[in-house]
Amino acid sequence: MPYSLTMICREPRRYLPAVVAVAFSDVLITVQVGLLLGALAVLSLPIDHSGAEVWMASRGALSIELGHPIPESWRSLLESIPEVVDTEPYLYGFSYWRKPQGGSEVCCVIGSRLERGALGVVSDLTPQLRTRLTEPGAVVVDETELERLGVAGVGDVAEVAGRRVRVVGLVRAMKSLGPPYVFCSLRTAYQLQPLFRDFPGHTMYLLGRCRTLADAAAVAGRLRERSDLSVFTREEFSARTQIYWATRTEAGIGMGFTALLSLLVGMAVTSQTLYAATAASLREYAVLRALGIPRRRMAGMVMAQSLWVGLAGIALALPLILALAAGGDSAGARVLLPSWLFALGSGLTLGMALSSGLAALRSLRYIEPITLLR
Amino acid sequence: MQPEPALVARHLERSFGAGEAAARVLRDVSLELHSGEVLLLMGPSGSGKSTLLAVLSGLLRPDRGAVTILGEDLWQMSEKARERFRLRHFGFVFQGFNLFPSLTAREQLEMVVRWGEGSSRREARRRVAAILELLGLGRRAHVRADQLSGGEKQRVAVGRALLKRPRFCFADEPTGSLDWGHGEQVIELLHSATHARGATLFLVGHDPRLVPCADRVLHLVDGQLSDEPAPMPTESPS
Repeated sequence: MPYSLTMICREPRRYLPAVVAVAFSDVLITVQVGLLLGALAVLSLPIDHSGAEVWMASRGALSIELGHPIPESWRSLLESIPEVVDTEPYLYGFSYWRKPQGGSEVCCVIGSRLERGALGVVSDLTPQLRTRLTEPGAVVVDETELERLGVAGVGDVAEVAGRRVRVVGLVRAMKSLGPPYVFCSLRTAYQLQPLFRDFPGHTMYLLGRCRTLADAAAVAGRLRERSDLSVFTREEFSARTQIYWATRTEAGIGMGFTALLSLLVGMAVTSQTLYAATAASLREYAVLRALGIPRRRMAGMVMAQSLWVGLAGIALALPLILALAAGGDSAGARVLLPSWLFALGSGLTLGMALSSGLAALRSLRYIEPITLLR
Repeated sequence: MQPEPALVARHLERSFGAGEAAARVLRDVSLELHSGEVLLLMGPSGSGKSTLLAVLSGLLRPDRGAVTILGEDLWQMSEKARERFRLRHFGFVFQGFNLFPSLTAREQLEMVVRWGEGSSRREARRRVAAILELLGLGRRAHVRADQLSGGEKQRVAVGRALLKRPRFCFADEPTGSLDWGHGEQVIELLHSATHARGATLFLVGHDPRLVPCADRVLHLVDGQLSDEPAPMPTESPS
């Protein structure tokens, strides 16, 4: 076992603050980004869970929430491309949900075709729910949004934009980041979104399915030549929605800053701990210097210690991250943990630990063998 | 015919501070040391003994004068070269043991061989085992420094100094932190081990019981070397 690791194992209390600081940083970064990814994934759920491979939107649409009505007649543009085998309109917009017992809530009305093979309908709606949604004024909401919407469950009624709606079913894991999603048929959606009363013959999006999934990019590219509209593949629109939210809203930027802050706090604690541990051994190092051992050996020792502290911190962080993610999921806050995020969190915190080691090297300047003489 | 001295120091001067407050600690000090010799430098506290040791061993640059060791001018070398010279030829024992508390006796010594000479772990272990046996610490090799007695710690420190088979060993008050029983044991070991290796021992101390161990005794009085100790301060008549 190298001397650097031996010292850490035999004096765990001395190095514990640094290990905990690294673990704290790793947990905070990974869980924060995991929460951000979870939130972003929720934001693009209607896109990701749909069967649409091509999304046509108004010019400059930055995210699914920021579309503007487009003429439904543009559907012919989509249909004119040989690779496109199916098209349909799709409504997405905000409205007001009036609770039965008074008070209102902004909601997000999503209207799509419901037939078998429909493009816009989310896969979470079962065939039974889709059948029920064909009734005028029928809506489906996420079960965790019931309280917010002031209804108790299936069969309850409320008003959206002055129209009576009835909850005909519930879905799971479709909780929105902002206003609650209200799923319904296209016909119902037109009635529940006041905006479309001013835009007859318009829709919010036009969706398309291609002969093969591989055709989607080419179809989108061909339609993009027109300057009065935007066209995206499903993956592009999902990413665009997520990136817009992450970079343009304060919530995304705030999470980024918090992650940066945790790195800085971790670095401060780790470097101070390593500095103190090195400073405590200055006389021992001074003897080695007197004996002619090069200073780089001591520097190597400090850097090796920072590496071990980093690895120990990451090992401590992993179970904590998994436990926090499980806790977040059960509390309704999705934490997505793709493997690249583990690598990113570990890489950043290991880099932080090594930078802390570099900062602690300044203590080696004080190694002077002459101080050993009385 | 007298052999060439291994160490020649000429006209060494060293002061601390500047201006009128400057303290001249070494005043025109010259001396010669021969291979295998044990020289004891004595003097009262603050007389500059440790300063002279530091200047001779390449740890403190003199204001004036030269130190020639094994034919090389120590203070004309670059810092790197002096560091390499210390690595090859010098061993040190200090009053404080200065051992890493969490490392075992064996690890303290292996570190010096492996870091200093780049030796393999096996080679380091073989050499360390031999010197620990010589120092009577064979059975204590696996004990951490913070669990060793003061005498054992200083014996490990002696081992650390002699492990590289240095031509010179500089010891500054090596018994200062020990009772006389343990101190005597350490001095005997230091003496026999350096003699056995033909090394020169430059010993600094103020305990008169060290005198029998030395081939030659010098006194540092008012910054100058003398064969006689400093006169005892006399009480002024009232």
